[in-house]
Amino acid sequence: MKRPLLVFGTLLFGASTACGQSAPSSDQTEQVRMLLERIEKLERRVTELESKQAATPPPLSAATTAPVQLPSTQESTAPPVQAHQHDVQERQAAVQQMETHFPSLQVRGFGDVDFSATDQKGTTSGFNLGQLDLHLASALSRKVSYFGELTFNAQPTGYTVEVERSIVRYDYNDYFKLSFGRYHTPIGYWNTAFHHGAWLQTTIGRPEMVRIGGTFIPVHFVGFLVEGNIPSGGAGLSYNFGVGNGRGTTISRPGDAGDDNDNRAWVANIYSRPKRLYGLQLGASAYRDKITTAGGDFREWITAAHLVWTRETPEFLAEFANVNHRAVLTGLTTNSQAFYVQAGYRLPWFERTVKPYYRFEYTHTPLSEPVFTNQDLVESIVGLRYDISGYAAFKTEYRNAKRQAADPRVNGLFIQTDFTF
Amino acid sequence: MNASTKRLLATLLVFSCLTALPLHRSAAEATPEGDIAVVVHSETPVSELSLADVRKVFLGERQYWNAKLPVTLLIRAPVTRERDVALRVIYQMSEAQFKQYWVAKIFRAEAVFPPKIVYSNDMQNELVTAMPGAIAFVDARNVRPGVRVLRVEGHLPGDREYPLR
Repeated sequence: MKRPLLVFGTLLFGASTACGQSAPSSDQTEQVRMLLERIEKLERRVTELESKQAATPPPLSAATTAPVQLPSTQESTAPPVQAHQHDVQERQAAVQQMETHFPSLQVRGFGDVDFSATDQKGTTSGFNLGQLDLHLASALSRKVSYFGELTFNAQPTGYTVEVERSIVRYDYNDYFKLSFGRYHTPIGYWNTAFHHGAWLQTTIGRPEMVRIGGTFIPVHFVGFLVEGNIPSGGAGLSYNFGVGNGRGTTISRPGDAGDDNDNRAWVANIYSRPKRLYGLQLGASAYRDKITTAGGDFREWITAAHLVWTRETPEFLAEFANVNHRAVLTGLTTNSQAFYVQAGYRLPWFERTVKPYYRFEYTHTPLSEPVFTNQDLVESIVGLRYDISGYAAFKTEYRNAKRQAADPRVNGLFIQTDFTF
Repeated sequence: MNASTKRLLATLLVFSCLTALPLHRSAAEATPEGDIAVVVHSETPVSELSLADVRKVFLGERQYWNAKLPVTLLIRAPVTRERDVALRVIYQMSEAQFKQYWVAKIFRAEAVFPPKIVYSNDMQNELVTAMPGAIAFVDARNVRPGVRVLRVEGHLPGDREYPLR
C-alpha cells in the first residue's frame, strides 16, 4: 500500500516542481497584467473621487455666511479644482497626441542574408546579401496617402538602387480609391501580397512566374489604378483596375521613363474574401498589352487565377497564369503556362515558431514562343521556417529543379535569415 | 488501511491542496469574467454589426463609415483582457501573427496606420468620445457615458448569446 502512495507522492511532487519551474516564463506577462489592473483600479478610484467632488456643494455658501473666512476657503478649495483642470488638460493633450498629424511618415525596412549551394555545373556556393528594402508610408491628409518602396541590390561591382513602388493615392471611400504611380501589377496573388519583403513570405524566394526581374508576368506597372470593395454581401468582393505603360522594350521593365508605343496596357483583378470563410481568398485577373520588341509587335493577353488560404494551420497558396502572345504581323500565336502550389503548417509546439512547407512549381513555354526566352521549369521545394523573434526568421530549403528536357536535375541547399526593422 | 497509511494519505492530500491552491487562484485572477463591448463614437452612423463585419472593420478591410468619416481603430496594449478577446475571437491570431498582419497590411499599401495602442480604459473611453469614427473594445463593466455600445450579431453585452467574451 505504501509503495503506490510513495510513487503517487513522488509524481505529485515532480508535477508541482515542474509547475513551479514553468512559472517564471509567464512572470513578466503576469506582472504587466497586474500593473495594468492596478492602473485601472487607480483610474476607477480617481473617477470616484472626481464624482464625489462634483457632488459636494461648493463652499461658496460658507463664504456668504462667513465673509471673513472667504480667502482662506478659496485657497483651500483651489488645489483640487486646479488638479482637476490639470487632469483634463493632460487628457486633452493625450487625445491630441493620439490624433493623426499630417504628413506622418513611417519608415520600415526589410532585409535578408542568404547562403546557397547547388550541384549545378559552373556555379559556386557562398553567401550573398539579398535585398535591403525600405518602405515608406505617409498620410498626407485624411484621404490622401503616399507609399514608396526602394531596394538596394548587391551587384558584382557595387549596389543598384531601384524604385520598386511609388504611389500617391486618394481614397474617396471603401469603394473607390484612385492612385497614380509605379506598382506591383495586380495579377494573381503573390505579386501584390509580399512585394520585396522576404520576411513576409513563408519561403526564401518567390515562385518563378513572379520572380523579380523575371518576364513571365509583368511584375511592375506604371500608370493609374482604381481599387476598392464591391458591395456584395457575404461574398466580400474587391477589385483593381489599372491603365499604364505596359512592358518596355526590355520586357522585364515597365517603361518608367515612358511607353515605347502608343498603346496602353490595362489590368483588371477581382477577388473574393468570403465573410463566412475567414482566411480564404480566390480571384481572377486579366492583363492586355501590345509589346514592341526588336522582333516586331506582339499582342499580349494574360489570364490568371488564384486560390489561397492565409491562415497558417494550414497555409495554402495556388496560382495559375496563361500568357498568350500573338504576332501582329504574322498572326502566330503561342501560349505559355505557369503555376505553383504551396502548402505550409505552423506547428503548435515551440511557441508556434516553426513552419514546415512544400512548394511545387511548373512553367512551360513552347519552342515557338517569340517574346520570352525558354523558361521551362519543374521544381520542388521542401523547407522549414523558424521565427527567431516576432520580427526575424530563419529559413532553410532543399530544392530539386529541372529546366529543359536535356538539362540535368539540379539539387540545392538554400539558407536565409530575413527580418523587418 | 492502517493508521500510518491514513496519515500518509492525509499528508499527501493536504500537500496536493496546498500546491494546487495558488495555481487555481492565479488562474482565476488571470481570467476575470465580463463581456467585451464594441464601442464607437456617439456620432458614428452604425448601431449594429455582425461578427464578420466587426472583423472586417478591425482587419482594415472596411476603412470608412461613410465617405466623410474614416474608421479609427483603437486596441488595448498586450496582455489586457480586451486585446486577448479581440485576438482570439475577431482576429483569430497570436500576438506575433497580429503584428505581422499589420506590417504586411501597411507594406501592401492597404492601410497607412495600424490600430492605435491604448494603455488604459480611461484613455480608451476618452479617445472614443473625442475622435469621430473611433471604434474600440472595452470591458462592458468599464463603458462610460458618451460612447455608443454596438449590438454584435443582434446582442448587447450581458446577453447570453453575446459572442465577445
